[in-house]
Amino acid sequence: MNDRVIRVEHLKKNYYLGKVTVEALRDISFQIDSSEFVSIMGPSGSGKSTLMHIIGCLDYPTEGKYYLAGQDVTRLDDNQLALFRNRKIGFVFQQFNLLPRATNLKNVELPLIYSGVKAHRRQELARQALEEVGLGNRILHRPSEISGGQRQRVAIARALVNHPSIILADEPTGNLDSKTGLDIMNMIKKLHERGNTIILVTHEAEIAKYARRIIHLKDGLIDRDEVVA
Amino acid sequence: MILQGLRIALESLWANKMRSFLSMLGIVIGVGAVIAIVSVGSGSTQSVTSRIADLGSNMITIYPRTPRGQFGRIGGSSSQEKFSLELAEYMEKFCPSISSVIPTKQVSGLFIYNDVNVSASIVGTNPSYMAVNNYKIEQGRFITEQDHEQRSQVIILGSELAADLFEKNNPVGQKVRVNYQGRIFMFQVVGVMEEKGGSMAGNLDNQAYIPLSIAMDRMTNSHYVSSYIVQAASSEKASNAVKELENFMVKFLDDENREQFRIMSQDEILDTMSSVTRTMSLMLGGIAAISLLVGGIGIMNIMLVSVSERTREIGIRKALGAKNKNILYQFLMESLSLSSAGGIAGIGFGWVVAYFLSRYGDWPLVISGISVILAFGFALFIGIFFGLYPAMKAARMNPVDALRYE
Repeated sequence: MNDRVIRVEHLKKNYYLGKVTVEALRDISFQIDSSEFVSIMGPSGSGKSTLMHIIGCLDYPTEGKYYLAGQDVTRLDDNQLALFRNRKIGFVFQQFNLLPRATNLKNVELPLIYSGVKAHRRQELARQALEEVGLGNRILHRPSEISGGQRQRVAIARALVNHPSIILADEPTGNLDSKTGLDIMNMIKKLHERGNTIILVTHEAEIAKYARRIIHLKDGLIDRDEVVA
Repeated sequence: MILQGLRIALESLWANKMRSFLSMLGIVIGVGAVIAIVSVGSGSTQSVTSRIADLGSNMITIYPRTPRGQFGRIGGSSSQEKFSLELAEYMEKFCPSISSVIPTKQVSGLFIYNDVNVSASIVGTNPSYMAVNNYKIEQGRFITEQDHEQRSQVIILGSELAADLFEKNNPVGQKVRVNYQGRIFMFQVVGVMEEKGGSMAGNLDNQAYIPLSIAMDRMTNSHYVSSYIVQAASSEKASNAVKELENFMVKFLDDENREQFRIMSQDEILDTMSSVTRTMSLMLGGIAAISLLVGGIGIMNIMLVSVSERTREIGIRKALGAKNKNILYQFLMESLSLSSAGGIAGIGFGWVVAYFLSRYGDWPLVISGISVILAFGFALFIGIFFGLYPAMKAARMNPVDALRYE
């Protein structure tokens, strides 16, 4: 049981839009083990973004339990959630979400800033992470000065730098052409082979297939939980 | 954590140089105005104070007061008649804190020299008048004891009067005629006074001085004087002297209610002056403080724009583990850096303005430390106060919404 990184029990999430209640997640339960590579797949409106926000500790569920690394996250306050995001989760977004005015190095340093690493050590770690994703020669460039694929690699370096328990990738290839997308997926695959736990949220079957296990979502419920060969 | 916020804040301010500068401007002008105005206030006060001190050392003047009349008639016995030369001698005898009493008799007449006519006032007085008034002779001499004894018809002219009458000619040794109430008196000019400028007692440069005996016996034929100029023995004794003189006058004139005389001391003039300038600087300082406040609102405005413009950045930072406090400090530090940089620039700006105003107005440049500290402190306070709301707004943002923001 100890290597269960994620345990979700009867998760529900409602949005209240005026008088209308939208049930984004109706009853979701699953577990993810350490070092697993799981895709969460579903068409838009299936609730996968909502699920990703909750798994990413960005939002609270309306009902149900969510254990991350053995800790009941639904009981945590804003500050403790921020700490969890910082220590346990590495985000890779579709829009890259880099700070446009900061250099790549500064962008990768960000999670370390909020975990209180000293400036000197921070630079060293960020530089290492950038070298790992093959951007050792783009350290002082800004996001606007590099290509989309390179930006996503900066974002991956940023996700890795704090050695999180899981890497949460939300449509990481959505804004890239297919060839660059392939590069990024191969990089994510390599991260998994090195022992990282990866959760990939996507609506593309081709991308989802990189994972060993695919959780299909439909209308706020788990439609299918299949293991890929 | 605060230091971290400061570093992030400075980086983002630097990235928006123009906007940072513009939002700082309100604070720069506000702080500058406070410092310049307070400096002008204290500089001009100092210059007025020293000018009043120039009028004469420890000078006290006693005037008769015209008693209130009823139904158009002059009421009571006229106190003016009690202002005699003997009174001056008694005063010296009974008031230990005074060093000398100078009686003066003031009349006005028409001066005639060749075809120039100038009307001016004539002060009959004795030789000590010059020293007590801190007045200096430019040319020739002042009244002497000999003039008194010999009743010489000599006259000393104020600088402006001399220039009006004689233009560029040398007045000393010339004779002028003075028409006083239809009678003509001949005077020989023996001296011209140095320029003194306007003062509380009127324009001294526009007066002429003659021996007291001439003014009293020959011109007016009266036994009372217009005023006594009293000099206190020292500046420490000046307030004692005023009390003694008051007691003396009350007893001597039998005037419990102090209706028949008025004592004016330099301290009193200074008090009035400084209360006027204090009120002025308070009022102007208040206006300057309002401009500081407006500057603060400008900062809040810019900060609110900056927060909503950077909603996505806030979302990213939160996703990467920034706590609400981190975000709060980041934006608070931004507004605080703006206002403190504005404050420092404002101190320099105020200094320069105060310097040029002091050159223009010819008073000493006085920058009081208190005004600098106060203006700067107020600027910091405004930075925190007006930065708090936008910073809290940023800190409380929901990370999911902030990340979705386009």
